[in-house]
Amino acid sequence: MGPLTLTILIPLVGMILLFFVPERYPAAIKWLTILFTSCAFLTSLGLLTLFNANTFQFQHVEAFNWIPQWGIQYKVGIDGISIWLFLLTTLLTLLASIFSFYVEKRTRIYFAMMLLLEAAMLGVFVSLDMILFYTFFEATLIPMAVMIFVWGGSNRNYAAIKFFLYTFAASIFMLLGMITLAKHHQAITGVMSFDITAIQALVASGEFWQGTGSLQTIIFWAFTVALLVKCPMFPFHTWLPDAHTEAPTAGSVILAGVLLKMGTYGLLRFSLPLFPEAAQAAVLPIMILAVIGIIYGAVVAAVQPDVKKLVAYSSVSHMGFVVFGVFSLNQAGMMGGTYQQLNHGISTGALFLLIGLIYERTHTRLFKDYGGLKAQMPIFSALFLIVMLSSVGLPGMNGFIGEFLALYGGFMTAANGQYGLSMIFPVIAGIGVILAAAYLLHMFRQVFYGPLNPNLARLKDLKPWEIGLVGVFIIFIFWGGLYPNTFLQPMEKSVNAVRMMTINEPGMRPVWNDRSQEIDDKGNLVRISDRTPDGSMDTDADVEIIAPADFYTKK
Amino acid sequence: MEQAIFSNIWWVLALPVFGFLIQCLTGKIIIDNLGPKIGRRVMGALAVLPIAISFGLGAQITAALVKMDEHHRTAILTLFQWITVGNLSIPFEVRVDALSMTMVLIITGIGTLIHLYATGYMAEEPDFPRFFTYLNLFVAAMLILVLGNNLALLFVGWEGVGVCSYLLIGFWYKDKANSFASNKAFIVNRVGDWGLTLGMFTLAFMAAIVLGKEGADPRWLSYDVLLPNAAKIAAGFDPWLLAIACILLFIGAMGKSAQFPLYIWLPDAMAGPTPVSALIHAATMVTSGVFLLNRMSAFFALSPTAGAVVAITGAITALLGALIAFGQTDIKKVLAFSTVSQLGYMFIACGVGAYWVGLFHVATHAFFKALLFLGSGAVIHAMSHNQDMRNYGKLLKYLPITGSTMLVGWMAIAGLPFMSGAFSKEEILLTSFASHLTWYGMPIGQIVFGVALLVAVLTALYMSRMTYMTFFSGDERWRLIPAHAHGHHDDHHDDHHHDHDHAHDDHHGPDVHNFFYTDAEMSAIAAGTPHEHHHELDGSHEPHEVPPSMFIPLVVLAALSVIGGGWLFFGVNLAEWLHSAGVVVHHHEHVESIGSFVTETIQRPIFWGATLAFIIGVGGGWMIYGKKLPEDDGMDTAKWKGWRKAAANQFGIDKAFTQGSIKGGNVLGKTTWSLDKSLVDGIVNGAGLLASTFGKLFSGLQTGFVRGYATLMQIGVAALLIYFVYQIVAVGGGGK
Repeated sequence: MGPLTLTILIPLVGMILLFFVPERYPAAIKWLTILFTSCAFLTSLGLLTLFNANTFQFQHVEAFNWIPQWGIQYKVGIDGISIWLFLLTTLLTLLASIFSFYVEKRTRIYFAMMLLLEAAMLGVFVSLDMILFYTFFEATLIPMAVMIFVWGGSNRNYAAIKFFLYTFAASIFMLLGMITLAKHHQAITGVMSFDITAIQALVASGEFWQGTGSLQTIIFWAFTVALLVKCPMFPFHTWLPDAHTEAPTAGSVILAGVLLKMGTYGLLRFSLPLFPEAAQAAVLPIMILAVIGIIYGAVVAAVQPDVKKLVAYSSVSHMGFVVFGVFSLNQAGMMGGTYQQLNHGISTGALFLLIGLIYERTHTRLFKDYGGLKAQMPIFSALFLIVMLSSVGLPGMNGFIGEFLALYGGFMTAANGQYGLSMIFPVIAGIGVILAAAYLLHMFRQVFYGPLNPNLARLKDLKPWEIGLVGVFIIFIFWGGLYPNTFLQPMEKSVNAVRMMTINEPGMRPVWNDRSQEIDDKGNLVRISDRTPDGSMDTDADVEIIAPADFYTKK
Repeated sequence: MEQAIFSNIWWVLALPVFGFLIQCLTGKIIIDNLGPKIGRRVMGALAVLPIAISFGLGAQITAALVKMDEHHRTAILTLFQWITVGNLSIPFEVRVDALSMTMVLIITGIGTLIHLYATGYMAEEPDFPRFFTYLNLFVAAMLILVLGNNLALLFVGWEGVGVCSYLLIGFWYKDKANSFASNKAFIVNRVGDWGLTLGMFTLAFMAAIVLGKEGADPRWLSYDVLLPNAAKIAAGFDPWLLAIACILLFIGAMGKSAQFPLYIWLPDAMAGPTPVSALIHAATMVTSGVFLLNRMSAFFALSPTAGAVVAITGAITALLGALIAFGQTDIKKVLAFSTVSQLGYMFIACGVGAYWVGLFHVATHAFFKALLFLGSGAVIHAMSHNQDMRNYGKLLKYLPITGSTMLVGWMAIAGLPFMSGAFSKEEILLTSFASHLTWYGMPIGQIVFGVALLVAVLTALYMSRMTYMTFFSGDERWRLIPAHAHGHHDDHHDDHHHDHDHAHDDHHGPDVHNFFYTDAEMSAIAAGTPHEHHHELDGSHEPHEVPPSMFIPLVVLAALSVIGGGWLFFGVNLAEWLHSAGVVVHHHEHVESIGSFVTETIQRPIFWGATLAFIIGVGGGWMIYGKKLPEDDGMDTAKWKGWRKAAANQFGIDKAFTQGSIKGGNVLGKTTWSLDKSLVDGIVNGAGLLASTFGKLFSGLQTGFVRGYATLMQIGVAALLIYFVYQIVAVGGGGK
């Protein structure tokens, strides 16, 4: 059993063990969960130390036949795009489960759901088989919906069902797309296969979509709409504010931190590499949606009376930057978009956690019930300030790097006049950064500044364990802003590979399961004769350039 | 070895960061353990020392730089790779050259003096370490701004100083007005930052296209890649693209340096404690726009369009700020608008191509404006934190040191010949008059010269108004205030303010807004509207001179205000010095956009013109304000009433932008949100409802969205499946 399967199994084992702990020992349930989420986190950290940043190929690949007659496999592997999302998942689940010490209602099933959710999310990010991916993708819905349904707020019924059905209905299209791809694979090679890398290899050579007319475009949109609903991208975002407002704190942290990223991750894993021509043609409409989403989310966030709804709408805006960067199809932009996924997970996760900490004390989320909290809770306000500024995108903090690179990439693509983009796109997207300051500072002012609301006069500042919990986020906020290369370097080659799979001509595209291909340090796609024992490219061996780096194009 | 000296630059940068960490991590503990009195002394010393040592090290590095050959006066030191992606590389690198070190000395030098002053000014502040946490962080961010060797690091400092400014304006956060002012400052600055970001992207795009194919290192934002290749980069594109790039960078400068119409945040920023106004909103942060234009002068010099935009914006701002200053009765507001006006003056110089002159005025302005602000702080301190000049009068008698140093500052800004301000002002007049900058046939240089000369008269006049009202003119007017005439009372300085919170909150409504004098407020609070004070000013009050920690900085700055200009001009030869850092200097080399221009021949007439402006301004001021205050409660309303009111209200500009954007944004947001709920979400829910009705036809069972969505899904799936199967059959396996 490889490390990936092991990490997925740890929370599942924990979940099963939970059912042997009687409900009347909530502390045992909580500590057991923390033990298993910690183990999963440590395992994923170990995985990071084993990770080789010098290749775009999948690592730690495990493959077993699952339903051979339909070409369905259990196949997992990890690359530079998924490694950080994998770690983000284990980290956020660990922190969310620590926060969940506050949960008192039906603890056993709550923590079981959390562990199940973790296993499913981990599975999503490492699946290399489409059916496996789909299974995990849908499997995340059930525990999340249950969490909203049982531990949610006053309108939880509506929110849970909407969340479940909206995203489920959308992903049905993706399933159809997957079946079509497998069937089409059968038509070409004679065997049915849901293996992403096998299909991508045929796409890279140009064989797969040859002479299929509009089929590529149709399936592209079947995948992409399902994924954009998950992001969520305007106009498919309306499930998110409801789900966030009603979800319990830990649910919101995981929902904003990880679940949304499954959408953008899917764009990088499916929409771009499997449908290169369709993706290029779709750059314009998707960028329009991204820019609308950036502004729309920000404008609506600015008038929310409820802290959680404000942050929920801000997620629509921030995820717009992720899609903006990814679909710029520019190296800096795609790196920015990919990185912004992590940053949004950290910043918004931390914001929801902080809101949860204050909600546990006041049981209100409305601005009108707050005011002047800075004098009463100085530590809380200082931590909130840092997290808020990271979400604003202040340089020196993580949020800046992602947004800056995403905007940069979009700007370069637009300035080059590629894919029908014009300069108006980055210019308007940049306004989203101004608006982010407007609504987040507005939030901060209403909660913390002004005379103290007398109802809050008895509040106690954060306890040490709560400071520690937020402190972890703050470490990553500064680390990600001051030394982003820790995170950028390992993803560079994988992102570049996806970019070249999308924009290069057939035959010049990288192939995931061709171990003789590699991307060198200058960004050229090369064929190598040999690898060093750790899987990196051997620089002494013969190197033949398949496709040169083409970062600087001018029409 | 020079390199060893240069590596000290890391200490210059790191010391304020250490100071910041000490303040924020240990400040509370130390004060709790040592007691407020000694604790604050210790923390004050720990705040001043890092900046002072930074200044010492900076001076040492500058001395080494002076000794070096003119052509090798640039050192670039790289600490680590900050952002590296395939087609963009941004190292964390600093640039030690004449321009950056000049700024470093201004920042740390004036910074030390103001930190020292603040230890006295804030001595009774319970949140003492929080103040110095922000202030030390500000110095660190400002140093990154000027020392960074690329536009991205400049941007780090740029937004870093912005956030420190935000935190310091809102330092007394219990007052709602302060929190509005701080938000306004940050958001308006972000508008500028938007321009700066797009501007640097445009330059990076141009550089990447021109240099990228040569396989150059993709440090497209680094000065040592951009500046030497400026002409080559610009030649690759239509001149309009360069003009747009420069104008976008200038939008960034407009935000930070408070140029029309983005000046609106600066007057409100006076809500911050006075040392903040002196350091951030007069001497350093607001001049970073001028620094940016100096740094990027190789590009700006190539674009006459950008030059014209800069010069005209500067001229409008200079005139507007000077006019509005006449309408202000709050001593800090007068200085705030004076700063706006003087910043416009600096951009006039930058616009006509005399970049170094802009920086010259940055330096001299830093001396005298910091002096005036600190002096006004001492006055406010002595007058029980009442800021209304109509309550002052004859204060020179009570505040001899503060008063006489402020008189020096007044002379410097008004332009008494051979004082620091006179030198730089004269250079601005000289270069704008001599400039050959034309735009669509308009002689921009001469037009802005006319405005600048008028502003010189106005400056001398409104500064005389302030000085006479405060230190001379008739009576000791606070003696006329009956005891306890005030309703508004903020206990910011109370050591036990937690205990007082409730009494204090009941004392006034949440929205007492004391930054704008409306008519109603004016009559209600005619005796003054203090917002940083201990106790009320009334007739029994006796003003006292401030402690040494506060007047020593005043004396030093007064000395600099006298000799600073001449020293920089003759002693340092600022033009040549900055030229070694790559700043385009008009009489030294050919400026592509405007040619080279010589100023020697017209030097004498301009000198007399400037001196005449000084005499008219100060003499006129004496005639109007010298003997006593004009009638009507100290508002010289008799003749100029309507005009004065318009000036007091900033001619409606601030209101139009601020109220307009808040109200407009609110309407836009609310409308969008209701559309979101009704239309965007309505379609989703409507689809669910439709399907549920449809589903009932088949099942006749329960209602609800669950069934509705499920049915919709089934129908959708069925339809799509049929379509896909048809497609697959029709295509039949594609290529094979």
